[in-house]
Amino acid sequence: MSNQARTVDPGLALQRLLAVAVLLAVWQVVVFSGVLPSMTPGVVEIAAAIGSTITSAVFWASLGKTMLAALSGWLIAVAAGTGLGLLVGSLPRLDRSSSILIDFGRSFPVLALMPVVIMMLGSNTRMEIVVVALSCLWPVLVQTIYGARRQEAAVVDTVRTFRIPKLLWFRRVLLPGAMPFIATGIRISASISILVAVGVEVLSQAPGIGRQITLAQQAQHWDKAFAYLFFAGLVGWGIALLLQTAEARLLKWNRQANG
Amino acid sequence: MAETAVSTRPDNARRRTRTVRTGTSPAARLLERSWLIAVVFILWWVLSARSTNFFVPSLQEILAVLARDLSSGVIPDGAAYSLTNLAAGLLLAVAVGIVLGLILGEANRLRQVVDPVIHFFRSVPQAALVPLIIGAFGMGQGPKIYTIAFACMWPVLLNTIDGVLGVEPTVRRFAKVYRIPPGLYFRRVVLPAALPQIVAGVRVALPIGITVMVVSELFAATRGLGFYILNSSATFQVPETWAGALFVGVIGYILSVAFVLCERRILRWYIKSGAK
Amino acid sequence: MSLQTAHSPARRATEQLMQVRGLTMSYGSGAAENKILQDLDLDVRAGEFVSIVGPSGVGKTTLLRCLSGLLAPKAGTISVGGQQITGPHPDLAVVFQDYSRSLLPWMSTRENVAFPLQGKGMGKAERNALADRNLAAVGLAGQGDKYPWEMSGGMQQRVAIARALAYNAKVLLMDEPFASVDAQTRFDLEDLVIDLHTNLGVTVILVTHDIDEALYLADKVVVIAEKPATVVDVIETNFGEVRDQVETKADPRFAEARARILHRLRDH
Repeated sequence: MSNQARTVDPGLALQRLLAVAVLLAVWQVVVFSGVLPSMTPGVVEIAAAIGSTITSAVFWASLGKTMLAALSGWLIAVAAGTGLGLLVGSLPRLDRSSSILIDFGRSFPVLALMPVVIMMLGSNTRMEIVVVALSCLWPVLVQTIYGARRQEAAVVDTVRTFRIPKLLWFRRVLLPGAMPFIATGIRISASISILVAVGVEVLSQAPGIGRQITLAQQAQHWDKAFAYLFFAGLVGWGIALLLQTAEARLLKWNRQANG
Repeated sequence: MAETAVSTRPDNARRRTRTVRTGTSPAARLLERSWLIAVVFILWWVLSARSTNFFVPSLQEILAVLARDLSSGVIPDGAAYSLTNLAAGLLLAVAVGIVLGLILGEANRLRQVVDPVIHFFRSVPQAALVPLIIGAFGMGQGPKIYTIAFACMWPVLLNTIDGVLGVEPTVRRFAKVYRIPPGLYFRRVVLPAALPQIVAGVRVALPIGITVMVVSELFAATRGLGFYILNSSATFQVPETWAGALFVGVIGYILSVAFVLCERRILRWYIKSGAK
Repeated sequence: MSLQTAHSPARRATEQLMQVRGLTMSYGSGAAENKILQDLDLDVRAGEFVSIVGPSGVGKTTLLRCLSGLLAPKAGTISVGGQQITGPHPDLAVVFQDYSRSLLPWMSTRENVAFPLQGKGMGKAERNALADRNLAAVGLAGQGDKYPWEMSGGMQQRVAIARALAYNAKVLLMDEPFASVDAQTRFDLEDLVIDLHTNLGVTVILVTHDIDEALYLADKVVVIAEKPATVVDVIETNFGEVRDQVETKADPRFAEARARILHRLRDH
């Protein structure tokens, strides 16, 4: 879909704007009709709040804190997940032995562990980074294992007949071969990092966008809460788009080679 | 939208590249698959037994508390509440996601028009909705179910669209040539053809649902597993907090394993046909 | 055929290079044992071009995997230059049937050809120069920066051949190398391999199910058949050094040898 979006089509752009307008109109009608609780802000209030939020220092500070925590946790997870995944995926014995443990870990709702982590580390950015890293680790790990496992028989034979040394094999065959899968894991976990960071902030006193949403809601500043929600969505969307583009560019060979 | 959908067959990747090893007995295989878990368990047990940190209770204590609250009915009661919310939210998400996905998958123009809106909504961090929905609608069961449904809908929707787009053009043409009526066409052609992708979407939605379930209860609740964890940590009942978190993890694992088993059942024709 | 010279070294094969004795291979064990190869003998002289021909499913690929050291045989010995092989060996280079998968899509063709040399510890400048030279030898001069997936199947197989040549092995093992390309490309590649064999004096063992291909290319055709497979005939061709897709195949000796192989395969 993003490819289609890139080819400029004025008619489509207009219709898209129209779709957004319809959505906002429906929202306004619903608010007026009284179906939603009375404190639900209308379109104009939310728009005004978005305007005032974007110029406030608090917003930029909390955005920075959320991004920093998400990015740090994500980077830790990517480094650990890739290394561990290549190791596990290329050693069939270890792969089989660790499969239950990894399946358990990936299906663990890490946010449920947050109260425990808060008890040990306190309600701060460090705790947030730990929870983000723990959540982001699994997609990277699991995808990397898939990638490392999936070695073409022909490539394995080639590497053996030409007696490629282990280190060279790791660097030039295993890693690039698994790269499309690793990239997927990295991309998935990037979205998760923002999601979890905001989630942690909503639930704890760790500073950031999520914390602002909770505070705004508790203070009955609903328009502000919606504005923050809007920006949280925007950030998530932006990151997804960014990584998709980067992946398409860096892994051109993968798309081409597989038709 | 193809790049946003999740592959239907990560679990099959294992089968494709590993040849079945003959000559190992079931017992040996069981040992191979379980020794690492045993090691982790024993290490945790031994290391935590000597823990002097108030916040790191011994595994023995955690398990004792878990057994106590399981048999007293506190945890089963919470689990029943939480899982009911999860099931209701997930069902709602699947129903809405499939219907919308089938429509958007077939209506090309409409799909292109609403594409940015869909991608914006699915990018909204699900946990951020919790304060708003619960704040507006209260701590009851309904708001929790809606939050779960909202969060789970996007993967189902996106994967359904992707599944519909992936229907063989030949099949599509065949339906046109034989003038299959729309109702029958959706029910017997598009839906089964898109089913592998839809199921994959639900597989993605499940852990999201579990997370939102816990978060909605950790935020504000009077019942449920999340409430159990929150209440224990607020009253400094440390082993209970650990036990609750661990129990939620086990539930998550059991549900995902059960889902994979169901998936194999439902999609037997697909796996057997070896379709790509 | 322009590369032909009157005194090419290749067809003066004398010295024994590769020796296979009593090669036996099977999968599984006990009652479930599936015997593939039985007591197979093979002699290859230095500079010789040997074709191994047999029907589909007879175990040709298994044989080639044993010869290349990828599979350890159940019994028997394989030696190269008097040295018994126990695994992949620097004197053996393999060209696989599945060219599109055996080339690494994330490397340019030059990097693909140079990769085994990097494995040998050769410096970058040297291995790239060598890769370019070998790419030129297979008719791909100046194409080193392209990626395999930008090339046709025939060109990809040329890259795979260049990679095997650059490895500088004494024996080139080819497993149905032209089975997945169209007929015209196939003829071009066959003539390329004949040229390379004649000019570089490399020893070639080529496995194929195509009798015409086996005869056209080789100095010696080894016919394998039966289950488990064993050598049922060995034919020395004597069509001379210069071969031509039309003339050689119209040679009465070619027809005679062809008939003989067909008879052999039908009898078994």
